[in-house]
Amino acid sequence: MTKTPTDVPISPTRKMFLSGASVIWIIPILALIVALFVAYRSYAERGPLIVVEFEAGAGISAGETELRFRDVTVGVVEKVGFTSDLEKVTAHIRIDKDVAPYIDSGAVFWVVQPEVTAQGITGLSTVLSGVYIEGSWDQQVGPPAQRFQGSSTQPLIRGGQNGLEIAFRSTANGQLTDNVPILYKGIEVGRVGYAKIAPRGNFAIVEALIFEEHRQLINESTRFWDASGFSVNIGPAGAEIDFSSLATLVGGGVTFDTFVSGGAQVSDGTVFEIYPDKETARNSVFNASEVDPLKMSVVFDDNISGLIVGAPVEMSGLEIGEVETLSGLVDFERFGDSRVRLNAILSIQPAHLGLQGDVTADAALAFLSERVEDGLRARLASASLLTGGLKVEMVMVEDAPEASLNETDNNLALMPTTESDVSDAAATVEGVFTRINSLPIEELLSSAISFLNSAEAFVSDEDLRETPQDVRALLGELTGLVSSEEVKNVPVALNGTLVRIEQLVAKLEEERVVERLSTALESASEAASSVSSSVEGVPELVESIQAVAAKAETLEVEELVVALTELTESADAVIGTDDAVALPGALKRALDEVNATLEELREGGAIENVNRTLASARNAADNIAVSARDLPQVVARLTALFAQASSTIEGYNKGEQLSRSAERTLRDIQKAAEALASLARTIERNPNSLLLGR
Amino acid sequence: MQMVRMELSGTSQEILSARELGIVACTRCSKPAPMGTPTCSRCGHRLVSRDRLSLQRVWAYWTVGLMCYIPANTYPMLKTRTLFQVEESTIIGGAVELAQYGNWGIALIILFASVVIPLAKFMAVAFLAISVKRRSVTSQRQRHYLYELVEYIGRWSMIDIFVVAILSSLVQLKTLAAINPGVASIFFALSVIFTMLAAQAFDTRMIWDAQTKDEGPKTND
Repeated sequence: MTKTPTDVPISPTRKMFLSGASVIWIIPILALIVALFVAYRSYAERGPLIVVEFEAGAGISAGETELRFRDVTVGVVEKVGFTSDLEKVTAHIRIDKDVAPYIDSGAVFWVVQPEVTAQGITGLSTVLSGVYIEGSWDQQVGPPAQRFQGSSTQPLIRGGQNGLEIAFRSTANGQLTDNVPILYKGIEVGRVGYAKIAPRGNFAIVEALIFEEHRQLINESTRFWDASGFSVNIGPAGAEIDFSSLATLVGGGVTFDTFVSGGAQVSDGTVFEIYPDKETARNSVFNASEVDPLKMSVVFDDNISGLIVGAPVEMSGLEIGEVETLSGLVDFERFGDSRVRLNAILSIQPAHLGLQGDVTADAALAFLSERVEDGLRARLASASLLTGGLKVEMVMVEDAPEASLNETDNNLALMPTTESDVSDAAATVEGVFTRINSLPIEELLSSAISFLNSAEAFVSDEDLRETPQDVRALLGELTGLVSSEEVKNVPVALNGTLVRIEQLVAKLEEERVVERLSTALESASEAASSVSSSVEGVPELVESIQAVAAKAETLEVEELVVALTELTESADAVIGTDDAVALPGALKRALDEVNATLEELREGGAIENVNRTLASARNAADNIAVSARDLPQVVARLTALFAQASSTIEGYNKGEQLSRSAERTLRDIQKAAEALASLARTIERNPNSLLLGR
Repeated sequence: MQMVRMELSGTSQEILSARELGIVACTRCSKPAPMGTPTCSRCGHRLVSRDRLSLQRVWAYWTVGLMCYIPANTYPMLKTRTLFQVEESTIIGGAVELAQYGNWGIALIILFASVVIPLAKFMAVAFLAISVKRRSVTSQRQRHYLYELVEYIGRWSMIDIFVVAILSSLVQLKTLAAINPGVASIFFALSVIFTMLAAQAFDTRMIWDAQTKDEGPKTND
């Protein structure tokens, strides 16, 4: 069948292979190419694997737990295992290739778990979907890293988050709340991180972040204070409860204010103090000259209760610092016994010492050490009798034993002490209370009450009330007397009298009895006319009458004198009556009588009658003068009476003031008691408020 | 020719292939025609006694089918998203899960329809393709039955795809729950399609002349 064995098989085989191959093979080849391409691509797109170590698994599961960056999934946990020593949990995370370069050594990872805090609920979605790992890194591509330490809490500053990074330091008697918002006018402008205790252990320090957009709110004169919890003030004005917001009441918070303008901008890393309250913070601004305080230690032999942290340190009555910490000290080697001694660390503000030149802690130390050589010693003294609190006093002690400022083991200068100024603080406190107890408050009150009663009785006394009325009536009557027609008539009557006297004298002249009487009566007439010209001029009138009388007296007419004396007696009787109003009437009557007498005299020719009348007139005038002279006395006496009444009333006023202040004191005490009661009620009703408040 | 006859007479029944009788039948309308006729006189279909490229097509489709079957099993078939979690399950994983919940019946059905049948198909087609080249121990009639079985059962492999398609169109409850077909469903469908193509590409007539293939001409143009 076959004739050509050699050359045929080769070419057909090749031909068979090529021509015999069906086009259909393209399909598997295509499929293979696609598969290879896909495989290559998925391999090429696969990101690197990183390992994050956590303290605990916290719900991380392989294949499910995602790694998120800004809440976008950028990787997934491929494997969960342990470190070789089983100390930590490792999560192997396959990260997306495009973010992989950014995950450098600065990246931080934490597990997001649901968290319910006073500030709100976070990570709620993880309740149902399970936890996820949140990563944070900056925008810079750094040297790649493969192993990371995961943290259990969210870091304060996330990568890519800008802001002012500052730190807070607790003050001597303040406290720090960590992981709380920084609020400004109720708005969260920053966040406080987790606090750490400083290496020396005497204060706490915490990082904080002010968000970038609020950076300008902070400057060097900004003061921060703790807004957490609430403060209760019980004072004379009643109880005051103060808290800034409910959230900070429960969860705490830090707030701040810039009390004075013009502070320089601060840079990252500035340390601010956290003040316990707004008042302290505000006050601190105005102590701007303050520098770093000088810390010194004092060991008091007598461990007396009453010295508290924050108690003042005084020198010559000036506050130069305060007690920063207090502790007990037992050191057998140093003191030779095992008694507990009071070790106080004082914080002395050099700015208060009035140093010349440099105002620094070192200068203050040098100054104090010099003074200690001279005998400056520290001692405990009572700060307040009422509270029994103590203060530390620096006093100069005469012929004190040699001492100097020594360094102690904790690098603080040790201030030598002297005998305390308090015998027993407890006794003092007790004594204060005893003293308060023994204050005769009740007696004081009862005597105040009785005084007020009697004052009231005195004031409401009918007689006292009528006195001004009487006085007024008296004055009115005096006015009436002066302005009465009868008084006005007196000169008229006198005029009439004198006319008649003139007539009489003329008759006498005619009869040539007495020559000089005529001139006397003339002068009397002149006087009388001057009297008539002046209605009120009673004294002048009296004087005129007196002059008339004097002239008349010189008349050697005995009978006349006798008659005048009789007239005087009747005038006396008239004046002697209590009714002063009746005086003008009586005077008039007397003058009428004089008139009648003179008429009688003229008719009867009895000169002695004239004489008598004149004497009587003189006496009457004298009496008027006397009674007029007495008037000022009455007025003076009335004035004295008024002065006395006024002083009494004034005394009453003073008494009222006393009682008012006593009453006010009582009211204040009552109010304070009420406030206390309401506070107690509030706490009783809602004891949680005390638990939840920090 | 002698050998064939002896061989054929050796079997229980005498079966003569059309090729042995010099006849070629139209594969579309079954009209026989003498060997050498280029096209069917009735329907115009090209007449070939034996498809020379049949086996190549079988193997090509078979390869693609197998290639698709691998990701169909490794990738998730169903993506079930309920309110809080997304669950992806592969075919075998889903069956195992069902079995763990106690649904043994459904688990077996899935396992049978999605794993056993496709694998059996691959093996059957491969066996048939190899057997036409080799002397086979199994009888030609049994192999023909096997082929018929593969042809018949092949379409039922799509039951998985139907389940996925129906589930994902029915369960779309917005955020509450949703079922979406996974990547594997596409590969599985492709795999089924390609195995069916492979089975169809197989020229069953080759079963009958397996013994004579080395001497007789394979093709007849």
